[in-house]
Amino acid sequence: MSALFALKGVTKKYGPNTVLNDVSFEIGKGEVVGLLGDNGAGKSTLVKIMSGVVQADQGDFTWDDAPVEKMNRDITERLGVETIFQDSALVPFMTITRNIFMGREITNKLGFMKMKEMDSITAEVLDSVVTIEGIKSPKQLVASLSGGQAQAVAIARAVHFKRSLLILDEPTSALAVRATEALLNYLTHLKSDGVSSVLVTHNLHHAYQVCDRHIVMNHGRKILDVRREDTTVEELTAAVVEGAEGIRRYREGRF
Amino acid sequence: MSDRKSTDVDSPVLEVTLATEAITTQRRMSDAQASTGFGARLRHDLQFIRGRGALEISVVLVVLLTGYITASLISPTGFAFLNPNNLSGVISQAVPVLAILGLAAGILMIAGEFDLSLGANITLSAIVFIKTAESVNLWVAILAGILCGVVVALVNGAIVVYTRIPSFIATLGMSFFWMGAGIFINGTTPATLTTSRDETMVFLFAQDFGFFRSQLIWLIIIGVLAWLFLHRHRRGNHLFAVGGNPAAAEAISINPKRVKLMAFAIFGGLVGFASILIAVRTSSMQPGGSATEDFTLFAIAAAVVGGTSLWGGRGTVLGIIVGAALIELIRNGLLLAKAPGFYITLFVGVTIVIAAIFNKLMEGKAR
Ligand SMILES: Nc1ncnc2c1ncn2[C@@H]1O[C@H](COP(=O)(O)OP(=O)(O)OP(=O)(O)O)[C@@H](O)[C@H]1O
Ligand SMILES: [Mg+2]
Repeated sequence: MSALFALKGVTKKYGPNTVLNDVSFEIGKGEVVGLLGDNGAGKSTLVKIMSGVVQADQGDFTWDDAPVEKMNRDITERLGVETIFQDSALVPFMTITRNIFMGREITNKLGFMKMKEMDSITAEVLDSVVTIEGIKSPKQLVASLSGGQAQAVAIARAVHFKRSLLILDEPTSALAVRATEALLNYLTHLKSDGVSSVLVTHNLHHAYQVCDRHIVMNHGRKILDVRREDTTVEELTAAVVEGAEGIRRYREGRF
Repeated sequence: MSDRKSTDVDSPVLEVTLATEAITTQRRMSDAQASTGFGARLRHDLQFIRGRGALEISVVLVVLLTGYITASLISPTGFAFLNPNNLSGVISQAVPVLAILGLAAGILMIAGEFDLSLGANITLSAIVFIKTAESVNLWVAILAGILCGVVVALVNGAIVVYTRIPSFIATLGMSFFWMGAGIFINGTTPATLTTSRDETMVFLFAQDFGFFRSQLIWLIIIGVLAWLFLHRHRRGNHLFAVGGNPAAAEAISINPKRVKLMAFAIFGGLVGFASILIAVRTSSMQPGGSATEDFTLFAIAAAVVGGTSLWGGRGTVLGIIVGAALIELIRNGLLLAKAPGFYITLFVGVTIVIAAIFNKLMEGKAR
């Protein structure tokens, strides 16, 4: 599988804290990659760097084997990267439709928005991917939604605009069982469209269920990068909970 | 745009979810959309306006107006509200000016900023307008007055946006600077419109049409444009996004700095225009004077009374115009009832605080 997006030697410091330390990995075309690790391991920081909203201190990026000179949101948008951020990045006092199309409104030549068209697309996307109960109208304010409903809106936005890479930072944290299943199903089907995805989650069973490859982060370092067929949920658990030590112990115990 | 549309109805996912039994009980939003009748839509839209407070304040305005008209019919001399002199001379001159200034302040507040040098900006822009009208001609003067408002606001905006000083402090400080600038270019004597205040100028900006004046027509034009911009144009949408959650706006590559600067520029243009209306009405402007300073707080008050959030991200054109009308009507009513001057200040103060509390409650309700 050829690489869609490759990161090499990514390092990020916040003040004296090294949050990411020399992290390298590749995301294949149509691959679902699980990004795992304990709280504070650096997953969300990595997600923000991959989406171009936070700049790495060091690191090289290649997209389709061509180097990306400078990572920022304008570039990643052009490349077709869409992200569901952990803190869902919605505007509470705007309607669902306006949130979904914020910054990418469907307009006529003069820049006036086509509200009807955007409303109907919103209803359609919300119905088709996340299948969540209780959202009555695309004109509802996001402030009036439940946590899970708001998360569904963030998911719908990313799903609608993604073209080549979908990054999901704990997208199911507020979703009930059925909506979660629907989303995970969706990720496995994305592959057939050639769209890659990165899934950050604390639910290792979910990750194991849908991801082709797993990357485990620990204190800003990558400690594990394995394909699904070469690992087990137990090994992933050991790596997340106990770090490199856990992986060693698990392998010693097994062999 | 269409190449981004990725989830059509027959995507594999839907088949998967449809296969589950639970989906059959689920209410699909797009179906519900199609089946809502006119009544349901109207109710929904009312709810939508209600959520922003514009409906409540319009009701207050109508009640107040009804009271005024009744009082004026009962006692045409004791409470001369319906007197053409009052309607055309006071109401239709004062309301549009405050409403335009309220829109200016409101647009900036929606983007999450304030400009407390509004009054100083009026003085300076009016002086520039008057001096240009006297020395060049009306058309250049109109351009110069508006441009002056824009430049003043953009300088303020640049300071706020690039230094990240709270706009309260930055623009309060700058207001002294702009007041001083007025004295610098004009000296301490008032700038006065003399020969240049001809028929054309008066027709454009202060013509008496019996029950209303030119200013009202300008308000309608500007109101419609502002509504189209704020509520229907993508740039207006960005304004709400940046004021409502700058981080979220930035995460999808809306540049908050650029959007805020645009808000300052629009603010300045509207203030510049309002200062022309004020200059033509009064024929003169006193540099460094405090005559225009009241406008700063009254404009913010109109926006707040009209439902604009003090924390950014919320506000409507209709609400702000109604808010301005309400404030001017209260002021006018107190004048007609021959209340002492300080009553007016006192009453407007109370109105603002009540409106702010009311807004806060509305925001709580929507959450
Ligand atoms: N803007 C910031 N300023 C300073 N430190 C930060 C900032 N963002 C993240 N950090 C620090 O970087 C580290 C990694 O944070 P990150 O959000 O990437 O963790 P995470 O793996 O996503 O954790 P979680 O599973 O809890 O979401 C944490 O120690 C955090 O305190
Ligand atoms: Mg995180």
